[in-house]
Amino acid sequence: MTANAPNTVAELQALVRDSERLHARGNGSKTALHGGAVDAVVADISAIRGIVDYQPGEFTVTARAGTPVRELAAALNEQGQYLPFDPLLPEAATIGGAVASNLSGSRRYRYGGIRDFILGAAVVDGLGRAFRVGGKVVKNAAGFDLSKFLVGSLGRYAIMTELTFKVFPDAPRFRSLSFSYARLEEALAAIYFINQSIFELDALDLLPKDKRWQLLTRLGGDDETLPRRVERFMEAMTRETAPSHVAELDDCAALWDPLAALQGDCLVKVPLSPKQVPAFDALLTRDCRRYSVGGNIAWLATDDIASLDAALERCGLSGLCLRGAVELAIIGNPNDNVLADRVKQVLDPQNKLV
Amino acid sequence: MNREFFNALAAIYPADRLLTRDVELLPYESDALTAFSAKPGAVVLPINEAEVIDTVRLCHALAVPFVARGSGTSLSGGSLPIPDGLTIGLNRLNRIKRIDPQQRIAVVEPGVINLHISEAAGPYGLYYAPDPSSQSICTIGGNIAFNSGGAHCLKHGMTSNHVLGMKVVLADGAVTEFGGESSDGIGIGPDLVGLFVGSEGLFGIALEITVRLMPLPELYRTVLAAYDDLGRAGDAVSMVVASGLLPGAMEIMDRLAIKAAEASVKAGYPDAEALLIVELEGEAPQVEAEFARLREIIAESGAFETRVAQDEEERTRIWKGRKGAFSAVGRLSPDYIVQDGVVPRSRLGEALVAIGALKAKYGLDVANVFHAGDGNLHPLILYDGREAGALAKAEALAGEILALCVNLGGSITGEHGIGMEKRDYLPAMFSEEEIDIMQRLRLAIDPKEIANRGKMFPGGDAPALSQHGMHPLERAGVISRE
Repeated sequence: MTANAPNTVAELQALVRDSERLHARGNGSKTALHGGAVDAVVADISAIRGIVDYQPGEFTVTARAGTPVRELAAALNEQGQYLPFDPLLPEAATIGGAVASNLSGSRRYRYGGIRDFILGAAVVDGLGRAFRVGGKVVKNAAGFDLSKFLVGSLGRYAIMTELTFKVFPDAPRFRSLSFSYARLEEALAAIYFINQSIFELDALDLLPKDKRWQLLTRLGGDDETLPRRVERFMEAMTRETAPSHVAELDDCAALWDPLAALQGDCLVKVPLSPKQVPAFDALLTRDCRRYSVGGNIAWLATDDIASLDAALERCGLSGLCLRGAVELAIIGNPNDNVLADRVKQVLDPQNKLV
Repeated sequence: MNREFFNALAAIYPADRLLTRDVELLPYESDALTAFSAKPGAVVLPINEAEVIDTVRLCHALAVPFVARGSGTSLSGGSLPIPDGLTIGLNRLNRIKRIDPQQRIAVVEPGVINLHISEAAGPYGLYYAPDPSSQSICTIGGNIAFNSGGAHCLKHGMTSNHVLGMKVVLADGAVTEFGGESSDGIGIGPDLVGLFVGSEGLFGIALEITVRLMPLPELYRTVLAAYDDLGRAGDAVSMVVASGLLPGAMEIMDRLAIKAAEASVKAGYPDAEALLIVELEGEAPQVEAEFARLREIIAESGAFETRVAQDEEERTRIWKGRKGAFSAVGRLSPDYIVQDGVVPRSRLGEALVAIGALKAKYGLDVANVFHAGDGNLHPLILYDGREAGALAKAEALAGEILALCVNLGGSITGEHGIGMEKRDYLPAMFSEEEIDIMQRLRLAIDPKEIANRGKMFPGGDAPALSQHGMHPLERAGVISRE
């Protein structure tokens, strides 16, 4: 692999035109995503960085794709705002990499994922054409929404150079509570209770702990009303879901990093629905896991990727490897689709982008 | 219409669901953009997805253009028939197949009416968030084609954000599924739901849709503030945003729109130059605290009268006037064009002043109703189609407003789509190369360009533009605006 780090969009265009096979990379924080591109030129996008435009009053921010998530988050934080899709690996990832891999953290639960907050993008496609998709205002319905298509596209259709997002005001205070249950079914029932309740949680994760299932919940708000809301929530959860144990936890970054406690050679994301959790979980053996976003995303760490691959296949699920020595980043059920193929024909007909 | 095609249709549909007589076709000649009308060759009314798939495959085989239609409420002419083409009316695919309250999802057919999803989800404490003003009649299939919005987009997003999975038939007859039931939505790989939603019927037809439901908020707090100046109402919106509040909705109506709403639904609005509606929603303790802050902001913003909805009935009344404003304008003028441009929120005031100047320049009335929270303008340009050249003049004014929105850094459409109406303005927003790429994408999916031919892209074969904006049924005396 040879790495090139274009400084400008024009340099990236030239690199695309001059390469037979090209693989885009930001900071390379998800190592497994870069394993399969051995014969490709690497386009390191991390030099195409910086915030281009931030209008707190518009709830919009535009940044170049190589901008570190941490830099973007810090700028928003100064204005009391945040990226509600909660990009994963905020200390290491670039914003372009976060979009390309569609990786959100636990706070995605409150308002939605990257697809819900991306407004537009500038890209360079497989023919070296530089163009814009989507818009720059919070609402836009003009043209095909290729900006959403980029979410999860792994740089295989076009390479992002600039991104515009909708942002929201963040809560000043947070409190985290844990509820424990003896059985997975009880913990899922508690999630279903929350799903239909009036409680607006900032995050909701489920993980096995000490032979029980621990439901981690987080509420965000202000000093004035948060205590009352926490009290009401605790009361309702205790009454309706009969947890074996309730505790308030220190609301620290590590608690809400879904990957923090996962130990294993390979780290995998699996989107699923809460009702798929029991059957899938029953197939897992020693694997370390956390069901995030109300049981809609499973994070798994495993030393036995082959068994996980088989388990996914049995459940009709797909997984994305973030870390670990794998040949293909996508495991389990292959996710090929005729519509995606048509887009590929148009944006990268020579199949350059891998 | 080609005999071979007609015979093949007759093999799929019984006579009562294959409409070809003039009187049967009349209701389908126009949609909510009544300035345009065209006569389809035939209308078919499928009752299941197999019939839709067979029909699309037949159209592809014989290169007959088709348009999928729900309730025909498109404001951009999106469901306008293709002259002598086929209109596929999807209203009979109207089953809510499943509601799963625990996972907060519903699986529906494309002909299901938007509001019916919320009605079915209500008993579980859930609702379907996107709320276009036409939600009591528009269908989810049409919402998907045009990525419909509504009054609550700033906080909750548009249709696209509420669709998790779908099964579709592409224009060339290929049937595919993407997304799923996970709230993560898109699975592993690119967001195909996001690409399909808002494609204006050019990619194909949605057959089954999985939507995300949201929990009904514990408490709404809705306030109506009256101003003696439109700019002041706009400034109030900026003040609310700067305070760090995230209201579910912020709407503004100007004097003419207020007058129309009063004449129509008698919402009891105050006599004012501008009305601002702000709605907070969420957990009761938080909403109450936020509401106290909101009231301080409104007081500071110079509102001369403030009303707070004390119960659900008053809230409904406040919204009824706003949601009925479009059709209410029909009482003030025989014809009108609704525009849908977006400007950055901070430039709302500038945009309104400029629209005021354009009104004077053209000598036409413009009523302004808009989603102020997301800068989405809805100027209603009033004209009388019986006057020679009036429509052309109204369209010229509309064009200037769209150019204004683009120049201010916004968009030509926030939620109505390009459709037939704004296709000549697409180049104002996208470069030649960008439009070329979109066209290539369309061709890769629909090589014969049969799906909603003539929409979104500039030029092409245009259906006849009528000089008078009444709906064909209105002209025939079948319906009226009362």
